[in-house]
Amino acid sequence: MSIARCEGVVQIYRAQDVEVVALRDVDLVVDEGETVALLGPSGAGKTTLLWLLAGLLRPSAGRVWINGSDLGSLDQRKLDRVRAANLGVVLQNPGRNLIPYLTAAQNVAFAQRGLRRDRRRVGDLLDRVGLGDIRDSPAGRMSGGEQQRLAVAVALANRPRLLLADEPTSQLDGESGRAVVELIRQAAEQEGTTAVVVTHDKAVSDGLSRTVTIRDGRVGSEGRRGENLVVVGREGAVQVPPEYHHLLPPGSRARIEPLADGVVLRRVEG
Amino acid sequence: MILRGLWERRTLSLIVLIIAIIPVASAAVGPIYAAASRTTVVREVLRAAPAEARGWRYTTSGDVGAGVAAFTRGVDFLHPPVYGIETQGLLAAEDMNIPLIWQEGQCAHLRMIEGRCPQAPLEVIVSEAFGDKMGKKVTFANIVTELGGAAAELTVVGVYRPISHGDPFWFGRGMFTTVEGAKGDQRRAEPFFVTRETSSAITLVGSKRNWTNYAILGIDLAKVEGEDLETIAAMQAGAVALGRQTQAAVFSRLDDVIKTMRAQAGTLSVPTYVVIGQLVALAWLLLFQTVGDLVRARSQEIALARLRGHSLARVWRFALTEPLLLLALAFPLGLLAGRAAADLMIGALLPGVPLTVPATAPLAGAAALAGGLVAAVASAWRTARRPVTEEWRRTPRRTRPGWVIDAVVLALVGLGLVELLTAGVISDASGQRAGALAVPALLALALALLARRLLPALVRAFFGLTRRRGGLGAFLALRQVARGTVTAGSIVILATAFGLATFAVCAWTATIGNYAETARFHLGAPSVIEVTPVRPHELAEAVRKADPSALVAAPVVRVPGSVQMVATDPIRFTSVAYWDADLAAGRQIADATGLIRAPAMPRAWLTGDRVRFTVNHPSLRQDLAVRLMMTVSVPSRIGPIVVPVAYLTGTRSVREWNLPPACRTERCELRALRGELDYLSIAEPAPDPTSEVFGVTIAKLEIRQDGVWREVDAGLTRSSRWTGEGEASQDGLRLDVSDLTESSIRMATFPEELPAIVTGVPGRSPVPGLDGLNAAGVKAAAPTWAAPGLTGTGAIVDLEYADRIAYGLHSRARFEVWVTEGQAARITEALTAQGLGVLSVTHLADLQARFAGEGPGLALLLLLVSALAAAVLALGRTVLALYSSARRRRYELAALAASGAGLRSLRAALLVEQLITVGAGMLTGLGAGMLAARVALERIPQFAEPPTTPPLPFEIAPGPVALLVGGGVLVSVVAAVVVSEVLLRGIQVDRLREAQA
Repeated sequence: MSIARCEGVVQIYRAQDVEVVALRDVDLVVDEGETVALLGPSGAGKTTLLWLLAGLLRPSAGRVWINGSDLGSLDQRKLDRVRAANLGVVLQNPGRNLIPYLTAAQNVAFAQRGLRRDRRRVGDLLDRVGLGDIRDSPAGRMSGGEQQRLAVAVALANRPRLLLADEPTSQLDGESGRAVVELIRQAAEQEGTTAVVVTHDKAVSDGLSRTVTIRDGRVGSEGRRGENLVVVGREGAVQVPPEYHHLLPPGSRARIEPLADGVVLRRVEG
Repeated sequence: MILRGLWERRTLSLIVLIIAIIPVASAAVGPIYAAASRTTVVREVLRAAPAEARGWRYTTSGDVGAGVAAFTRGVDFLHPPVYGIETQGLLAAEDMNIPLIWQEGQCAHLRMIEGRCPQAPLEVIVSEAFGDKMGKKVTFANIVTELGGAAAELTVVGVYRPISHGDPFWFGRGMFTTVEGAKGDQRRAEPFFVTRETSSAITLVGSKRNWTNYAILGIDLAKVEGEDLETIAAMQAGAVALGRQTQAAVFSRLDDVIKTMRAQAGTLSVPTYVVIGQLVALAWLLLFQTVGDLVRARSQEIALARLRGHSLARVWRFALTEPLLLLALAFPLGLLAGRAAADLMIGALLPGVPLTVPATAPLAGAAALAGGLVAAVASAWRTARRPVTEEWRRTPRRTRPGWVIDAVVLALVGLGLVELLTAGVISDASGQRAGALAVPALLALALALLARRLLPALVRAFFGLTRRRGGLGAFLALRQVARGTVTAGSIVILATAFGLATFAVCAWTATIGNYAETARFHLGAPSVIEVTPVRPHELAEAVRKADPSALVAAPVVRVPGSVQMVATDPIRFTSVAYWDADLAAGRQIADATGLIRAPAMPRAWLTGDRVRFTVNHPSLRQDLAVRLMMTVSVPSRIGPIVVPVAYLTGTRSVREWNLPPACRTERCELRALRGELDYLSIAEPAPDPTSEVFGVTIAKLEIRQDGVWREVDAGLTRSSRWTGEGEASQDGLRLDVSDLTESSIRMATFPEELPAIVTGVPGRSPVPGLDGLNAAGVKAAAPTWAAPGLTGTGAIVDLEYADRIAYGLHSRARFEVWVTEGQAARITEALTAQGLGVLSVTHLADLQARFAGEGPGLALLLLLVSALAAAVLALGRTVLALYSSARRRRYELAALAASGAGLRSLRAALLVEQLITVGAGMLTGLGAGMLAARVALERIPQFAEPPTTPPLPFEIAPGPVALLVGGGVLVSVVAAVVVSEVLLRGIQVDRLREAQA
């Protein structure tokens, strides 16, 4: 059963004089318990997709379902409820996830306020992220790595069904990064938390069960079990992965040769 | 968590708290100060009122104590009642009705010049007029020992002299004809004071057999407050009703005083509440921005709350708790601060007035705070509704300022200006024109709104220049200013507050100048000594002796009226009185007084008991007689006294007649002779009436004094001394008596029209004259727009002329001695030494203080203090906003530092940015204030009763305005330097590793 589903999602940012299409016709289904790494170059639309899944943005077109609820049809009160009950979000910059003058424990507790408080879970989470000893230190005085781990703990405070994390290891060393990934995996295994993680870190993507690569606002490819597959889009569009651009450069023409189980693209010279 | 948050943002929180406290305090000061001002108004009006208008005299033949208790129930602003009893005794020996009085504590208000106070029944003290009775027994025709008994004998045990007419203890009853230091020249029915027990020891007989019980209920000026005004009015209304409903009578002259108090309180309340309103509005503006800053400072936390799915109500509560807690804390602290500030203000400006906190004070404080509340709610609403992702945008969306608010403000300013320019002076207590009074603040706000739009555009025009020269500092500063968000808010606040402050300073200095100018002319001289009424020549003589140099003091008699009169010695007046030649077409005072001087002219004095005329005249027909009369001025009587002196028949006559009794001791004056034909039979008059003219020649005029006849120098043979229907010649003074009209010839001691320095247009309206008979016409010898001693249309005449033309002295005439600066004490002493009673000494500063203590003056003072406080607050808020703005840009500044921008450039950028913003705000405010002063200054109320004269100069003193600007610039520069240094110390390249705030 899918916990998150995007169907034909288009997101357009309107600046003063220009419109920027951040996502175009994105279809994505994330099943319960999956841990998905959203990959892609900077500006591809990963964070936008994450914000759409978190209900922080309303798509310009298309629909987003979280746990069966169409976010576009929810009023603010219901959307708040969905966020409080189902979502945990880690923003890209660890400092942004935290209230600096509150202690680590208070930050975690603050994230529980949308639901009922669970003091035991606060301590448990802090122990799991290795911050049990400094639970009473203000978040603002913690190092970048500690803040990042605390941000994950905060995002998991409400036992979310879907954890959305944007670059959760960006400021961590390898070991800390692995600990964070482990934490996400643990949450998935122990609590059934589905995770969608935006990352550039191969170690992170390797640690998750599935990768989705966004390119130019589209879902370009998916990877499962070590294999990377291109995704045929809604209009039959297929993005040639960059590693094959020397064979089939963007702008070149190709002949399609049908096979029994697919097609072959052959570059046509001249 | 809330406290942690407040501590985390302690600087901003503290500033928000201070900025919230100060408007609450300022707004609360208004009503407290207004209440104190109202108390001042009430007290000053009562202080200036006569004693009988400062309370009530409760009189009854019954139980006075019970009546007084009922009348004064619940009233706490009265002196303890002064009880008394009174009756009339017919002094047998003198055939005079004498009041017999006992009044509680009477001896403390009398000077015993002989003997002692009465202590036992049947003991009595008498006035100096009856001093010859000291030690003797006096009896009264209507007072006996018992019914049917012998006349009661009262022993005179002392002789008193009243200390002061004005002593409120006597409730202005005018019982005394003499006072301490003044001369009594006549035996009058001044009261005999007895002991209370005397009433039981004697029996009254005749028509009036009872003693009257009374109580004097004086208003205690140290206790009465502004809010008691309506209680006083209710008591006065009750007093009138009491007289109709009971046998008690309550007397007071409070009606006019109540009207004056209400009028002055009215002139106070409208401007005061407009000032408070402006202050509250400014407080709103300040708080709106500052509290908004606090909420915006928490916008990321609020976004986090929304990200975590907190309900809208919880997010709101989260957003509002900190600002609301600060505002809640600011309210009591502000009220306390306001009370303390009001205490200081009242102590300094209205000494002696108690501080009371009316219910409107916390209301005004709450109203001021409401701006912060609205700001908090609006900011929280905006923050809670804004897309969460906006908080993490690297470049905040630019929001263009809307035109709606600007258009509303500009429209209001326009309406206010139209009302102001068409309405004239705003003195209507109804408050209907209060909108126009608010124009200075609105004008400042309007210009501020325009300036905030113009400045970024103006700054952009210099972009090109800063690209080529001026270094990085100017380049960065101009671009930051052009971004506009902080700049706009700061300019609006600063320009509005400085505009109001500039206007307030202009208004205050102009008002002080107007007060000084008005006081100079209304008082007439640096100091004025009011003395007890005496004869004009006695006043002049006393002044001559007190000031032989004739350079220091001048005798003046002022007579009020629709056309006022000031009578003086022109030569002395020239040295003492204020004068402005510019208001008199360039004429100097010496030239003006030279035109009104009376030439020396002998007068015919008649002091004696009998007058004798030697009269020659042609033989009269048998049926005709000539009635000869003389018109005499008797100083103690108002109006001419016509004395019939002869009834002429036949030819030569020598006739005698009694003079009025007063002339035995007083200097009576012969003013005119009159004759009329008297037909002795009822025969028809002659067919040709012109033929019935008889020349009656007075050859000699004699007067008998102490049994001796002497000739009076009446100039009977000198034509220059008489004018009228007849002529003086060698044979004597001929009076042509006709049967057509009454014939008269008067002594030519004064012209038909007195030469005068005039203000206004007296026209044909005669001046009142010393006697108040309005018989003296004046000729405008020296017209001027303002003359010393005249508060309206009036004339200054020679005291000698005024005395020559007057018959007696009007009771409203004020006898004064005007003196030059610093001479009042010496002249007062000299006048007292000569037996003149000094009633009061008024200095120029006293009158200025009285003007400043009236409603409009007090309101303008409040405006000044409040506006200056607001300007300081606005400056502080602007510095804070610039600091906060730059602090938010620390990341950007750190990036610039990392990319090689030197600290010097960054310092210059911060300094220039702050100075441009503050300078623009202050400059706009200065312009707005000056413009508002030009437009509105002459239309705001400055006096409770706007003076007719002198023309008010409305001169703005540049010094205080320069001080305001200089102070503002100095504080701005210092603040800019300090803020820049603080910010520069916070720039660390390490911060680039942190999140961009």
